[in-house]
Amino acid sequence: MATTGINYIPAKLVLLGEMGTGKSSLVLRFVKGQFFDYQESTIGAAFFTQTLAVNETTAKFEIWDTAGQERYHSLAPMYYRGAAAAIVVYDISNTDSFTRAKKWVEELRQHGNPNMVIALAGNKADLVDNKQVEAEVAQTYAQDNGLLFLETSAKTAQGVNELFLEIARRLPKANPTQPSRMIVVDRSSERLVSTSYYCC
Amino acid sequence: MDRKRTGVDDFEPGPIPSPRPVDRFGFVKQDQNNSSEGLTKSKPLIDKEREERRARKWRKMIGIGGSDWKHYVRRKPLVVKRRIRKGIPDCLRGLVWQLISGSRDLLLMNAGVYEQLVIYETSASELDIIRDISRTFPSHVFFQQRHGPGQRSLYNVLKAYSVYDRNVGYVQGMGFLAGLLLLYMSEEDAFWLLVALLKGAVHAPMEGLYLVGLPLVQQYLSQFEQLVKEQLPKLGQHFMQEMINPSMYASQWFITVFTYSFPFPLALRIWDVFLFEGVKIVFKVGLALLRYCENELVKLPFEKLINALRYFPQDALNPDVLLPLAYSIKVSKRLEVLTIEYGKRNGELSQPTESRNEQVEVTKQSRK
Repeated sequence: MATTGINYIPAKLVLLGEMGTGKSSLVLRFVKGQFFDYQESTIGAAFFTQTLAVNETTAKFEIWDTAGQERYHSLAPMYYRGAAAAIVVYDISNTDSFTRAKKWVEELRQHGNPNMVIALAGNKADLVDNKQVEAEVAQTYAQDNGLLFLETSAKTAQGVNELFLEIARRLPKANPTQPSRMIVVDRSSERLVSTSYYCC
Repeated sequence: MDRKRTGVDDFEPGPIPSPRPVDRFGFVKQDQNNSSEGLTKSKPLIDKEREERRARKWRKMIGIGGSDWKHYVRRKPLVVKRRIRKGIPDCLRGLVWQLISGSRDLLLMNAGVYEQLVIYETSASELDIIRDISRTFPSHVFFQQRHGPGQRSLYNVLKAYSVYDRNVGYVQGMGFLAGLLLLYMSEEDAFWLLVALLKGAVHAPMEGLYLVGLPLVQQYLSQFEQLVKEQLPKLGQHFMQEMINPSMYASQWFITVFTYSFPFPLALRIWDVFLFEGVKIVFKVGLALLRYCENELVKLPFEKLINALRYFPQDALNPDVLLPLAYSIKVSKRLEVLTIEYGKRNGELSQPTESRNEQVEVTKQSRK
């Protein structure tokens, strides 16, 4: 199996979730190691990349960070379509954001790529005193729905790298003859995808 | 004009402690900042004289408190257009914006309404607004202080609007419009200017940018894509190959009229023209940016391309370079045709002029 050079596995990843839950902050922490108390609201969407070594391979995340407000919903499909992974973010100090996260999960199950790795991130884990969503509740929900679950804090960096690492581990292994390049911006995959865990 | 080079660092701000130096417009200086640094530092004396000369001309043109304005525009519309395109003197900007947008008339016709909206009404959007307040121009001294005067004004204007038009409510992005206006005028003036824009006092109403489904965003992006294909065929082709869609880079151009993540001096100059000539300047500036960078952009693969479309080089963002290029691009006629075609394709649903309600009537009358 030895190959020449580094084996980058590109993986399109999208962040979804209620406004102000910290989607941009999570990305910024992961990609640049930065955190701002007052991160400018995201209008439209923003794009980032980051590589992460997992075992012998290196995953290259191509990340779309989206605007969270419900009104921007109509722009979201274009970013989650064909995505290999999604992080659905809620704010542990805000119950409504957890409700909204569940809606996103349902939508991804219905309209997203069926092999998509979906992670649920309970962000702002540093706000323990204002906690409204118990980790057990979210954990149970995640288990029932086959999601990865982690509590994270973009502020303290708790769980952030672990989150992306876990996602990278669960990404489908690269097919040696046909690398997953296609996934990146494949619009036609809507109809094409079948439940092919082991294609070819 | 360029006081900041020498003065601001020693300046002791009054009640709000600001440990870091700010630029001429009040933004905290950063490494990769969106301030005017580098764009206006040459020949400060000549610039200052030129600005003062222009301000004198402008004062003559608008009269005391704007009393001669309407008369002047009617007599010499082309002179006005030309002067606006050169940039409205910063000291008169707030007043002139209110005159050219039609908001001054709205304010006069609706005395007391704003106060009513702010004090007595409640809005379903209040929580959303609060969540975004400290995330709107977070690097500007006026909006930085938690619960300070800037944040309070911003909240009031946005809340008032969300009550005034409950169909729109509050939508992320509107804060940047309101924030920009608040740097140049009072809360009440900023509110009515927002009304003038969204309800279409002078130009096509903007509210479709913020209504459910963002119909006008979809329409403008589709038109923009078409214009890129027609006017910059090489780049249009390249975008297609790399599967770049304008909503990946241009949606915030339209939603916030370049107030989001663009250098402030450029945003101001665009707004001068935007308020007088309407949304076509957004198309023109967008096309000018792409044209200016076309030779670079056509070489880039997807990832680098997306980045380049977000972070344009400094020289491309210099208003005195970009705007003349934008003015030279003709879009009006094509835009009209494309609007009609788009309307037909989408069953007229997305026509901005369709969604008017009673409140628009108020606005319409004010034109006379």
